[in-house]
Amino acid sequence: MINLRDKGASIWENWSPPARSSFVLIVITLVALLPYAGDFGPTSFLNTPISSYQAVLVYPIALFVLMGLGLNIVVGKSGLLDLGYVAFFAIGAYTMGIMGTMTSLNTWEILPFGIFFAMLSGLLLGLPALRLRGDYLAIVTLGFGEIVRIVALNLKVTGGPNGVVGVPTPPPVFGQKFELDDHKAYFWVILIMILLVIWMVRRFTVRRPGRAWEAIRQDEDVAALMGVNLLVYKLWSFTIGAAVGGAGGVIYASKTMFIAPDMFTFNTSILVLACVVFGGLGNIWGVILGASILAYLPERIRFISNARQLVFGLVLLIIMNVRPDGLLPRKKREKIKQKVVN
Amino acid sequence: MNLQVLESQFWSLCLQGVALGFIYVLISLGYTMVYGVLRLINFANSEVFMVGTFATVVAQVGILQNQTNSQSLHGFRLIYTLLFALVFSMLICGFLGILVELVAYRRLRSLGNNRLASLISAIAVSIVLLETTRIITYSRPQTSPRLLDKWSFGEFAGANFRIDTVMVIVSGVVIFFTLDRFVTKTRLGKAIRAVSMSEEISKLMGINLNRVVALTFFIGGLTTGAAAFFYTTVYETTQFNVGFNLGLAAFTTAVLGGIGNLRGAFYGGIFLGVLEQFASAILGSQWKSVTVFTVLVLVLLLKPNGIFGEAVQQTRT
Amino acid sequence: MNSKIQRSLAVVSAAALVFGVSAVSPAMASKHKTIYLAFQAPLTGSNALTGQDELTAARFALSEYNATNPAIKVELVIADDQGLAEVAAVVAPGIASNKKIIGLIGPAFSGATQASLPAYKATGLPLISMSATRVSLTDRKAPVNGFPIFKRVVANDKFQGPALARYATKGIASPSVYLVDDKTAYGKGLADYTKPSVLKIATLAGSDSVPENTSDYTSVVAKVKASGANVVIYCGYAPDAAKFVKALRDGGYTGIFAAGDGVLKATFPNNAGNTAAEGARLTAADVPFEDVATAAQMVAYTKLTGIKIPGSYVTSTYNATNIFLTCIKQGVTTRPGMQNCVTAGSFKGIAGDTIRFDRYGDIIGGAAVGAFTIKAGKITYLGVA
Repeated sequence: MINLRDKGASIWENWSPPARSSFVLIVITLVALLPYAGDFGPTSFLNTPISSYQAVLVYPIALFVLMGLGLNIVVGKSGLLDLGYVAFFAIGAYTMGIMGTMTSLNTWEILPFGIFFAMLSGLLLGLPALRLRGDYLAIVTLGFGEIVRIVALNLKVTGGPNGVVGVPTPPPVFGQKFELDDHKAYFWVILIMILLVIWMVRRFTVRRPGRAWEAIRQDEDVAALMGVNLLVYKLWSFTIGAAVGGAGGVIYASKTMFIAPDMFTFNTSILVLACVVFGGLGNIWGVILGASILAYLPERIRFISNARQLVFGLVLLIIMNVRPDGLLPRKKREKIKQKVVN
Repeated sequence: MNLQVLESQFWSLCLQGVALGFIYVLISLGYTMVYGVLRLINFANSEVFMVGTFATVVAQVGILQNQTNSQSLHGFRLIYTLLFALVFSMLICGFLGILVELVAYRRLRSLGNNRLASLISAIAVSIVLLETTRIITYSRPQTSPRLLDKWSFGEFAGANFRIDTVMVIVSGVVIFFTLDRFVTKTRLGKAIRAVSMSEEISKLMGINLNRVVALTFFIGGLTTGAAAFFYTTVYETTQFNVGFNLGLAAFTTAVLGGIGNLRGAFYGGIFLGVLEQFASAILGSQWKSVTVFTVLVLVLLLKPNGIFGEAVQQTRT
Repeated sequence: MNSKIQRSLAVVSAAALVFGVSAVSPAMASKHKTIYLAFQAPLTGSNALTGQDELTAARFALSEYNATNPAIKVELVIADDQGLAEVAAVVAPGIASNKKIIGLIGPAFSGATQASLPAYKATGLPLISMSATRVSLTDRKAPVNGFPIFKRVVANDKFQGPALARYATKGIASPSVYLVDDKTAYGKGLADYTKPSVLKIATLAGSDSVPENTSDYTSVVAKVKASGANVVIYCGYAPDAAKFVKALRDGGYTGIFAAGDGVLKATFPNNAGNTAAEGARLTAADVPFEDVATAAQMVAYTKLTGIKIPGSYVTSTYNATNIFLTCIKQGVTTRPGMQNCVTAGSFKGIAGDTIRFDRYGDIIGGAAVGAFTIKAGKITYLGVA
C-alpha cells in the first residue's frame, strides 16, 4: 500500500528552506480562507446541506482537529489509551460557563483558568490512573469521563441538566468581532490554537519528552530499564493533552453560549479517538485529516437524514479495515521498530 | 443519605443485586472471553446483547405468536416457549459474535498488531448494529409479553424470592459453571486457553487459530444471548439503546474481576450488582455510576489487575 | 482491473454520491412557487423516538395541505439535531441562513432550543415548538428567553407541575408522595415545578433521580416501600415509566402512580403490561392524536407513516404545523410576515380548541392541563386536572 506520509516527507526533505516556508504560508492562508469556500463557486460543493457550513467548520471540524491533536499526544505519542478525553473538554467548557456568567472576566481571561483546571484534573486523575496498564487505564478514564458528566448533571452550580445559559461571547480582538451568525472569527481563533499545538508537539517530539514518550509507547519495561521515569513522562503527556482539551472547551462554551451535560457524553470521547486512529495514530497530519473527514462527513450527508449515522458507521468500518494504520500512517521506520519489539 | 431503607429492605436489595449481577456476569463473559484470547476489548458486545433482547421478543411474539396482551402460559407450553426463546437468542447472538469477528477483527488481526484499529472497527460495527435496529423498530421500545406468571416462592427476611429472580440466579450459576467446565476440561476449551497463553506456540501445536478465535466469539455471544433472554424475561421491554448502559456495567464487571479471568467475572458481577443496588438506595440513583467508578478506581489501585487478577494463567480462558 | 484501481473507483463513486445528490436536490424545485418550513427534532441517536413520532405528524399535516392542490406548495426541510444542544448549535445557523425557510416546527427539546435561539433570533425565524416545555424559554425574567420568535403549543412545566401534583393526590386521604425524576432537562424541570405543590398539599415521603435508560428500578421500589408512600409521581418519558411502574407493581406497591405528558403516549400501557399501568394518572397538554383525529384521518395517517398507534406530541406537532400552514394559506411568504401572522393570529387546533399566543409565546389559556387515566389498557381522557 502507498504510504503517502513517507512520500510527502521525502518531497519535503528535498525542498530548500525558503520553499518550505512559502509552502507553509500558502497552506495556512488557504486553510484560513476555508470559511469563504462555501460561498465561492468552484468550492461550493463543500457546503453542508441544512446545517451551516461555517458553523460546522468551527464545531465539529476545527474543534475536533484541536481535540484530536490533544488526544494524539496521549494516545498516539505515548500510547496511553484514554476513553474519557471529553472530560477535559467539559471541564474547560464549564470553567468558561460558570466563570463567564458569575464573574466579569472575559473569554480570553478565563482561557488560562480553563486550561489550568483541565490540567489539574488531568494531574489528579493521572496520579492514580497512570500507574495502571493498558486497558485498565482505558476503563478508568472512561469512568472519569462519565463521572465529570454525572457530577455536572447533579450539582447546582453547573445548572444540573439545564446547564449554563447565557455564556458571554468573546470580546473583539484587533477589531474582529465575534458575531452570532458569523463564525469566521471563531474558526481563526481555533486555527491559531491548532497551529500552536502543532508547533508544540513538533518541538516536544524531537526533544527529551518526545523520546521518552516514544520509548514508553514501544515498551514500558524497556523504557523504565533505560532510566525513563514512567510516571513523570506519562503525567506530562496526560496533562498536556488535558490542557488542549480544556482550551477547546473554553472556546466552545463561549461560542455556543450555552452548555449542558449531554454535550459531553462518551460518544464524543469515542468520536475524537476515532478521528485519531482513522487519520493515522501518532501522525499530526493524519490526525488533522482524519478529524476533518469524520467531523465533516455526518454533516455533509445530512440529506440522508434517517440513515445518516448508519452510513457513518459503515464508512468508518470499511476505511478502518482497508487502512488499519489510518489514512496517513506514522513513519515507516517507527513501525519497523515496533515490529521488532513485538 | 438514606439509611432508613436498609432496615426493612436490606435483604431485598441484596437479592435483587445478585440477580442483576448475574445478568452482568453473563454479558461480561462476552468481553472477558474475547479479551482473554485476543487482548482486545470487544466493544461491539453491548450491541450483540441489544440484538439478543430483540431476538427474544421476536421468538416469543413473532415466531411463537404470543400476543402482547396474552395470558401467561403454564406447564409444558411455558417451558417450551422459554427454552425456545433462550436458545434462539443465544444462537442469534452466538452467530452475530462470529459475524462481528469476521467483519471487525479478522482482517485487522491478519495484518498484525493493531489494537486501536480493531477498537475503532468494533465501535463502527456497534454503530451499524445500533442504527440498523433503530431504523427497523422505528426507535420504539418493544415489549415482551408476560408469559411467565411472576409468582413468588415466598418472602424471607423481606426479600421476595420471585420466580424470575430465582430463575436468573439458578440459570446463571448453571451456565457459568458449564462454561467453566468446558474451558477447563474439554479439548476445545483447552485450545482456547492455549491460544490465550501464547498464540505463536499454539499455532506450532497445530491449533487452528481462526477457528479458536471464532469459537471464542461464538461462546461469548452465547452467554450474552442468554443474558439478553433473562433481561427481557425479567424487565419485559427493550429498546435500541439498551446496550450501552448494560454493556458498560458488564465491561466494568469484567475489569473488576480481572479482565480475561472467568471466575473473576463471576464474583465481579455479583459484587457490582449488589453495589449498584446499595449505592442507588443509600446515596440516590443519580450517584450510582459515580460510586461504581470510584470503587473501581480504588480496587484497581489496590489490585492493579482486578480483584482476582489476570496474571493467574491457569484460570484464564 | 487491479485492486488499486478498483479501490479508487469505489472512493470516487462514493464521493460522487455524497457530493452529487445534494447538488441535485435544490434544483428540483418545480415551476410552482414553493415555500419551505423546517422541522427540527432528534431523528437519530438515543432520543430519536420523540423526533420520529413528531415527524410523522408534521409530514401528515403537510400531506393534507398539499393534497388540496394549493397555489403555493410547501416542503419540509428536515433537520436532525439528535436532541443535543451541540448538534443544534451547528444545525440552527444553517437553517437560519436559508432564506427560503420561513418557519420552523420545533425544536423538540428544550436544551436544543436554548442552543438554537441565538441563530434564529439573529435572523428572525419564527419557531413553534411542540414539546419544549422548559419554563425559562418563555419567562420574561430569564437571562435568555425566546422572545419574540419563540412560541409553543405545549403547556410549560409551570402549569403542568402543580396540576400534576393536584391530580396525583386527588381523593387520597393523607397523601404521602414519592417524587422520581429521570435526570433529563425535561424530567428534572417538571419535578422542580411539581415539588412545591406537593409540599403544600401533601407530605413528601422522599425523592430520587433515576437517570434515563436505567433498566433496574428495584432499588427505587425498595425505597418507595420503605418510605410508606401512597402516591408515586414520575417525571420522565414513557419507556422508562413503563419499566418503573412494572417494577413497582411487581414489587407489591399498590398506591397511585402518576406522571406527566412525557408518559402520555398510547404505547405506554402496552409497554408497561396492561395490568401494571391500569389506573395510572397522567397529565398533559397534549391530547392523544387518535382521540381527536377523525377515523378517515387516522387511516390516512397510518397509510402515510406506517404507524398504527401515534406516539407522543403528535397532536401538538400537527397543530404547530397547521398554524404555519394556515398563515401560508393567508398569503404569507416571508419571515416577518409569518412572525406577524403567528403572533397576532388565532388558530384552530385539531380538537376544535382556539390557539392564540401571549406576548412571550405561550398559548393563552393554555394553562388548562388535561387529566387522563388508563382504563382497560386504553388512555382515557377525564377532563381538566
